[in-house]
Amino acid sequence: MFKSANKKIAVFLAILAFSYIIASIRLPAYPYVPVDSDAVPISLGFILLILSILLFFVKDNHQRDKKLPKKEIAVILIALGFVLVYIMLFEIVGFVIATALFILTTSRFLGYRNWLSNVIVSISVPLVIYLLFTQFLKIQLPQGLLPF
Amino acid sequence: MFEGIFTGFQVAFSLEGLVFVFIGALTGTLIGMIPGLGPITAIAVMIPITYGMDPAFAMLLMAGVYYGAAYGGAASSILLNAPGESMSVPTTFDGYPMAKQGKAGKALAIAAIASFVGGTISVVLLTLFAPFLARLALSFGPAEYFALMLMGLMMISSFSEGSTVKALISATLGFMIATIGIDLQTGTRRFTFGNANLLEGIDFLVIALGLFAMAEVSSLIFERRQSGNYTSKLGSLRLNGEEVKEMTGPTLRQSLVGFVIGVLPGAGGTIASFLSYITEKRISKRPHEFGKGSIAGLAAPEAANNGASTGSFVPLLSLGIPGSGTTAVMLGALIVLGVQPGPLLMNEHPEIFWGVIASMYIGNVILLILNLPLIPYLSRILKIPRPMLISLIIVFCVIGVYGIGFNTFDLYLLVFFGIIGYFMAYFRFPAAPMLLAFILGDLMEQSLRQALTISNGSLWIFVEKPIAFSLLLISFLTFIVPLIRNWRRKQLTKKLERNG
Repeated sequence: MFKSANKKIAVFLAILAFSYIIASIRLPAYPYVPVDSDAVPISLGFILLILSILLFFVKDNHQRDKKLPKKEIAVILIALGFVLVYIMLFEIVGFVIATALFILTTSRFLGYRNWLSNVIVSISVPLVIYLLFTQFLKIQLPQGLLPF
Repeated sequence: MFEGIFTGFQVAFSLEGLVFVFIGALTGTLIGMIPGLGPITAIAVMIPITYGMDPAFAMLLMAGVYYGAAYGGAASSILLNAPGESMSVPTTFDGYPMAKQGKAGKALAIAAIASFVGGTISVVLLTLFAPFLARLALSFGPAEYFALMLMGLMMISSFSEGSTVKALISATLGFMIATIGIDLQTGTRRFTFGNANLLEGIDFLVIALGLFAMAEVSSLIFERRQSGNYTSKLGSLRLNGEEVKEMTGPTLRQSLVGFVIGVLPGAGGTIASFLSYITEKRISKRPHEFGKGSIAGLAAPEAANNGASTGSFVPLLSLGIPGSGTTAVMLGALIVLGVQPGPLLMNEHPEIFWGVIASMYIGNVILLILNLPLIPYLSRILKIPRPMLISLIIVFCVIGVYGIGFNTFDLYLLVFFGIIGYFMAYFRFPAAPMLLAFILGDLMEQSLRQALTISNGSLWIFVEKPIAFSLLLISFLTFIVPLIRNWRRKQLTKKLERNG
């Protein structure tokens, strides 16, 4: 039934549109305005519903790119994992340390072989950015474990 | 008006003004050169630096990044055959063959000069045209604004590559994301799922960096091994008299065409550069040279896309309505700085309105200087190893988003929109309509409801007002005409098949 990617996406979008409409209808009413806060969302939901029906019947007229090899998908998922760990550590260990670790590991993982320059970049870039932001631009970045 | 221009040049020619235009143009060129990174990413990454800056100077910086990225895109197209974004695709048609013939230096010089002419002609027209449009727009009420924004969205959807239905879905989803948060009129909490972080809605920088920069990063990851192999021998940058003569006509013509297309909402650089390439090929006396290193074929799209980049500032500065994904990010940046662009900008903040315009005259000169003698040095950025580049871009995205609200919730949202952006690119849903709809969403909803409040709930207000009605009619047509044309084409092919 759902042969093409378009059809699968269309069904997904229709479900999304439907839940969005339900959520919009359930918004509390506010009696003193001619157009309440649910009017636009409800219309948007119906527009999306109509568009997803159209999409269901539109043919996929482009050739799908070659399927990505499984290995590449793994690479991108692991890189995504690095980003998530980076965000988790961001406020705990502080900007400089988290960023240094992130640049070092991610560059190495993606195939950068030169350890020496990797270490130099990983340490100098976060330090320079940190000083630039906190001293010149007066934008605070998490200090974390560092004393300054 | 002359008083305004004078104020503008005072801002732009001040020491800080010059420094910021220079920094912006330089960073824009550098980021624009990196294949895969377009002007939207370049601007979005620079926004955090402007937090807390004087809005006029911040705008000079951003504008510098904006047209710098347009210049920079040419370099990667010529040297690597890897355009930074769709608008510099036609530049590769003749630029890359020239580089392969050992004339990379000449190609870069032609691109830089054509860009300079396109940008400069366009900025003169912008100076004349924007104040006129702003004055006209002063009479616009909420109904007209709503119709105008709807027209922009419809046009960007019907002009974007691939399926119009997909583009419209992107736009609708973008509008839906904009409805998250407290409703400004009634105070109702909408779609916040009880999460306090969503009360103020999602910041546009999260969407811009997620949908564009993070998604671009993932395609860079797939292509991470293709770095460094570009022609490092540029050859002479000098052009001879004949070459100058050959590029003059196309450059001047296509600068004008570019400006006009740029002013139209939704059109912008990509259409301008493709259209200019096709027309120049059609009217050329030597069309067979196109695609093999034709000077006219290189100069035309560069003049046109720079003309269009500047032209799209007309609706942004005078109406406060962006016509493209890139100017939408500029609008977002202005709002972050606390400036609401629109017809009142010219009178309320002449230093910004005219400062930006004046800075473009200087910016184009700076870029010509940067690009001609310095291009061999600047193009070394192409030698930065991809893995390092990828991690650095992610770091810049994270800093930018963290600077908005100083919490990690936004960072997770950034990753979330990065994933969405990746899938959208994979399934060929254009991201620009989503970004534009997201940024216009709030304004559109407010003006629609204001219009209906004025009319006491009657939709007649959109028919009674001639400007609003014609704008709505145009938006309706931009949507319907391509559908009918497609349908008729299908009928025709069916008939042809049947008749054998």
